[in-house]
Amino acid sequence: MFKHLFKLIWNKKKQNFLLMSEMLVSFLVIFAVFTLIVYYYNNYKKPIGLDYQNLWVVDYNNTYNPKSTDSLNIFYENLRQTIKSMPQVKEISFCSDNVPFFQNQWTGDVHYKNASPSSDQYTVEDSYKNTLNMKLVEGRWFNKADAVAKTQPVIINEDLKEKLFGTEEAIGKLVGSEANKNDMRVIGVIQGVKAKGDYAPPRAAIYKRTDTGSFHWLGKIMIHVTPDADAAFEGRLYKTLANYMKNSNIEIEHMPNKLKSTNLFYVVPMIVTLIVACFLVINVALGLFGVLWYNINKRRGEIGLRRAIGASGRSVSSQLVYESLILATLSLIIGTFFAVQFPLLNVFSLQASVYIVAMLLSIIFIYLLVLVCSLYPGRQAAGILPAVALHEE
Amino acid sequence: MINLQNIEKVYRTDTVETLALNKVSLEVAKGEFLSIMGPSGCGKSTLLNIIGLLDEPSKGEIRIDDQKTANLSDKQLAQFRNKKLGFIFQSYHLINDLQVLDNVELPLLYRDTTAKERKQLATEALAKVGLSNRVKHFPSQLSGGQKQRVAIARAIVGRPEIILADEPTGNLDSAMGNEIMDILIQLNQQDGTTIIMVTHDENMAKKTHRLVRLFDGSQVQ
Repeated sequence: MFKHLFKLIWNKKKQNFLLMSEMLVSFLVIFAVFTLIVYYYNNYKKPIGLDYQNLWVVDYNNTYNPKSTDSLNIFYENLRQTIKSMPQVKEISFCSDNVPFFQNQWTGDVHYKNASPSSDQYTVEDSYKNTLNMKLVEGRWFNKADAVAKTQPVIINEDLKEKLFGTEEAIGKLVGSEANKNDMRVIGVIQGVKAKGDYAPPRAAIYKRTDTGSFHWLGKIMIHVTPDADAAFEGRLYKTLANYMKNSNIEIEHMPNKLKSTNLFYVVPMIVTLIVACFLVINVALGLFGVLWYNINKRRGEIGLRRAIGASGRSVSSQLVYESLILATLSLIIGTFFAVQFPLLNVFSLQASVYIVAMLLSIIFIYLLVLVCSLYPGRQAAGILPAVALHEE
Repeated sequence: MINLQNIEKVYRTDTVETLALNKVSLEVAKGEFLSIMGPSGCGKSTLLNIIGLLDEPSKGEIRIDDQKTANLSDKQLAQFRNKKLGFIFQSYHLINDLQVLDNVELPLLYRDTTAKERKQLATEALAKVGLSNRVKHFPSQLSGGQKQRVAIARAIVGRPEIILADEPTGNLDSAMGNEIMDILIQLNQQDGTTIIMVTHDENMAKKTHRLVRLFDGSQVQ
C-alpha cells in the first residue's frame, strides 16, 4: 500500500507541489523558532556563575582628583570602610564599569600560541569573588601578594580556558594581551558568568587585578547586602555615598532587577518570534486543512470506487492521512537537507546539538501538525457513501 | 446465489420521501447473466447498489451465498465486496493518476497479496480483456472502449464470483459496446461468473440469460 500511495503522490507531483512547499516553509520557520528556543533553554539550564540575590551595584563617577594617587586610594579606602561598617553590608568590591547584567562591555583579544579569542575584560579587586560569590574551579583567586608579582596574574573563566587551552591545564600558563607578548600568567579558573542574563551563554572572560592607579577610572561598587537590607538602608547608603563623593552622580541598582531587564532583551524577541510563528502555523494549518478538504471533494469518485472494491471507511481515512504524512516526509527530507547545513557549516557558531534537537522537534511538530490537519478531512472521507460518490461521478 | 426479499429503499429529506424501490424480490442463480432494464429513475442503479452492498435497503433482506449481509460491519462489508464482487461502471471510474496496471491492481491492495502476485494477476486480467500492450498507459491515453476494458480487468482481477455492471456500454458506440458485451459474455460462459447488468439497451439485454424490468421502483417483469 505504501508503494501504491507513493506512486499516486509521485504521479500527482504537480498538484502536490503547493502543499509540499507549504510544509517545507513551515518546517524551516519552525526549525528557526525551535533553534532559538533550544538555544535559550540550553543557556537557561547553565549555572549563572554568581549569586545576584542581595547584590547591589553602585554606579558612580570619580570626581575626586587629588595630585597624588595615594590620596585617591586613601579616599576610596575610607569610603570602603565606611560602607563596610554598615551592619547590612556583607562584602564590598570596587570594579570596572562592565559588571554583569549591564550593557557596558570591555573586550579584547587574549593570545596563546595560535589562539586569540576575543574575551570580556574585567578589572576587579581581591574581594570581587566573595562579593559576587563566584565559583573558583581551578587554582586560586587574587591576593595581596599578586601586587608584586613579576608577571601580571590573571584569572580566566572556563569558556576562555577551553578556547585557549582546550583540555590542557591552564594554571601557570602565560598568555598575552598582544600576539607574542606573554605578559600575563593564569593563576585561576572560575565558572563562567552569564553576564548577559539567563538566556545568553557565558562569554569568555579574563579578570585582571586592580592596581594602585585603578581608582582613577573604576566606576562601580558591588555591595553584597544582608537579606534584611531595605529601602531605608538604601536611602542611608545613598546619603552616605552622596555626602562622601560630592558632585558625583550616584545610582544604586539591584542586580535581580538588572537581570530581569537584561533578560527582556532576549525574552521580547523570543515572544515576538513565537507570536509570528504561531500566526504562521495557524495559517499553514488552515491552508493544509483547506487543501486536504478540497482534495477530498475532488476525489469523491475515487473514494467511492475504493469503498466499492474493498476499502473500509477506516482504510480510506487512513489512506488520506498516510498520503499527507508521505507528502510531509518528502517536504521534511528537503527541509532537513537545508537545516543540516547549519551545523555542518557552523552557522551562527551554535553547538551542533542545538540544531539537531531543533531539527528533531521541528520534524515531530510538522508530523503532528499534518496529522491533526488531515484527521478530520480523513474522517469526512470515510463517511462518504460510495453509492452517492460513484453516482456523482 | 443472490437472494433479495422484499427490498424497499426510501430516500428521505426533511420535506420529501421518495420510494426508490418497492418490495423487490429477486433470486439470481450462480453463473446467471441477468440484465435489469427500466426508464431513468426507476431504481435500477439503486437496486444494483443494494446488491453490491454499497447501499442499505430501508426494508427487506439480502443474502449472498446464503449469508445475511444486514449485520455485517463496515469492515466485513468491505472484505465481502472485495472478495465476492466486481464492479463495472458506466463512467469507468479509473484513477487518472495511475497507470493501467496500477488501476487494475487496486482491488488486490485490500487483500493480503504481495506486489509480485498483484502484478501477475493484473497482467493476466489485462490479457483477458486484450490490453496487454497498454499496461504502462494512463487512462487519459486510452479510448472509451479501452477504458471500459481496463475497468473490466479491474473487476475480474480478484476473481470475484459476481460482477455488477452499471450500464457498462452506456458511454460507448455500438461497436465498442458489442466488444465489451462479448467480454462479459465470455467471462460468464468461460469462468462461470454471475453477472448482473443494468442497461438501457434492449439489444444488449437480449444477449443475457434473463431480463428484469423495473418501473417506478417496482419489479414489473
